[in-house]
Amino acid sequence: METLSKPMETFDNLFLIIAHFIRGLFADPQSVWANLTMSIINFIIVVVIVVLAALILILLERKVAGWTSQRPGPNRLGPRGWFQTIADALKLMGKEDITPAGADKFIFKVAPMIIFALPMMTLAVIPYGNGLAPINLDLGIFYFLAISAISTVAFIMAGWGSNNKYSLLGGMRAVAQMISYEIPLLFSLLGVVMITQSFNLGVIVEAQKNIPFILLQPLAFVIYIIAGMAELNRAPFDLVEADQEVVAGPFTEYSGLRWGLFFLGEYGNMTAVSALAATVFLGGWQGPAILPGFVWFWLKVGIIIFFIMWARWTFPRIRIDHLMHLAWKVLLPLSILNIFLTGLGIYIYRLVMGG
Amino acid sequence: MFGKGLLTGLGITFKRMVGPNITEFYPEQKPNLPIRVRSSMGLEREKCISCNMCAMACPNGVIKLTSEKDETTNKKVLKSYQMDVGRCLFCGMCAEVCPTKALTVTQEYENSVFEPGDMQWDMIKRAERKGKVG
Repeated sequence: METLSKPMETFDNLFLIIAHFIRGLFADPQSVWANLTMSIINFIIVVVIVVLAALILILLERKVAGWTSQRPGPNRLGPRGWFQTIADALKLMGKEDITPAGADKFIFKVAPMIIFALPMMTLAVIPYGNGLAPINLDLGIFYFLAISAISTVAFIMAGWGSNNKYSLLGGMRAVAQMISYEIPLLFSLLGVVMITQSFNLGVIVEAQKNIPFILLQPLAFVIYIIAGMAELNRAPFDLVEADQEVVAGPFTEYSGLRWGLFFLGEYGNMTAVSALAATVFLGGWQGPAILPGFVWFWLKVGIIIFFIMWARWTFPRIRIDHLMHLAWKVLLPLSILNIFLTGLGIYIYRLVMGG
Repeated sequence: MFGKGLLTGLGITFKRMVGPNITEFYPEQKPNLPIRVRSSMGLEREKCISCNMCAMACPNGVIKLTSEKDETTNKKVLKSYQMDVGRCLFCGMCAEVCPTKALTVTQEYENSVFEPGDMQWDMIKRAERKGKVG
C-alpha cells in the first residue's frame, strides 16, 4: 500500500483500511458473508454514533444553557461535570416504568421505539468521510426526508396512546407543525439537487470540492436551518412539548427508560439534521488537508449543533399561529423563489458556458 | 432589516456565553457578606455582668440566663445562658442593650441543624468551642 507513505492520507482513509482488513479475513472478500459482516459492523457504528451523540449533546445542551445565563452548568460529577449524563442515564434506568391504566398499551410502548429507530436509519446514509457512508444510497436525500417524516406518526402515536388530553394536544400540534415545515425543508434541498443532478449524498459532497453550496444557496441554507429546527421540535419551535402550555406534550405520561428513549431520539434526530446540513450545504468531509475528512465532517456538524442550541437558549417560544404563518406565508414562498432562481441560474450558466 | 432583533439577541447571548460566570461556588468559596448582615450571636462570658437586660429586651423571649452571687466579690456570676435560636429574629436588640458589649451579633451563617433540640444554643459552650473563654 503506497498510502502508508503519507501519514495524513492514511489517517484520512483509516476506516477504509480497517474495513479492507476485515474483508480480507474472509476467503472471498466480496462474498455474502463478508457483506453481511460489514453491514452488521456499520449498523453497530451508527448505533454507537446515536448513543454517543445523545450522551455528549445532553451535557453540552446543559452547559450551553448555563453559559448563556452566566452559570457554569453541571459541575459536580467528574472533571468540570463532564460525567453528569452518565449519572442521569443511570437514574433514568433505575426509575419505575409506568404505563397509565387507560393507555393504548401497544401504541404507547411502540412510539418511543420508533422515535429512537429513526435517527439510526437516517444517519446510515450520511457520508462521514471519503467513501465512508455506511449505506451508499442513490436516493439518499429522498430516503433521509422520507424516514425523518415518520417521526410525525410516532409523536401522534405517543399522544394518542397516552390517553391524556395534554398528550393528545401535543401530538396534534406535532402533526400540524411537522407536516407544515416538511415542505420548506424539502424545497430548500431541491436547489442543491438541481445543481448536482443527483439525490446521492456522496455525489453532492463530491460536487462541493471547490465551493460549498452554502455560498451558492445561502437562502436555502437559512430556510433549511429554520425548518430543521421546527422539524426537531426544539425551541423556539418547541410547541409540541411546551411545558407551560401542554405540560410536556406527548411525553407527559412517559417515565424512566421510555422517556429516555424519546430523549435519545431527539438528540439523535438533531445530529441527523445537522449532519444533513453539513453534508448538503457545508461540504461534508471536504476541507483543507490539514485535518482528515471525518474530523472536518464532525467539526461542521458540531458548529451547526452549537448554533441550534444557541438559538434555543436565546429565543422565546413562537406562538402557534405565528408558527403556521412563518411556514406557509414566509418560508414556502421563499423556498419556491429559491428554486426558481436556482433554475434561472443554471439556465444562464449553461447559456454562457454553452452546455 | 427584517430579523435584526433576532441577530441582536443572538449577539447578546453569545457575549454572555464567552463572558465570565457570575456563579459563586459556595461550599468551596465563602461569600463576602455585607457588613450589616446579622446571622448569629456571640457571648463573651467574662464581660457579662448577668444584668438580664438582654432577656428583657428580647421581643420573643429567646434568652434565658441564670446567675449566682459570688460571696467574696459580691458580684453576680453567669451560670448558664440559653438561647432558643428557633425563635430568634436576629434583630440585635439584645446586643444593642448590653451595657458591657458582652453579647454581640456575629456573621457566622452555617447555622442549620438536624434536630430541633439543637436549636437550643448554650452560649457558654459555644463561646468555649470558639476558644474565646477567658
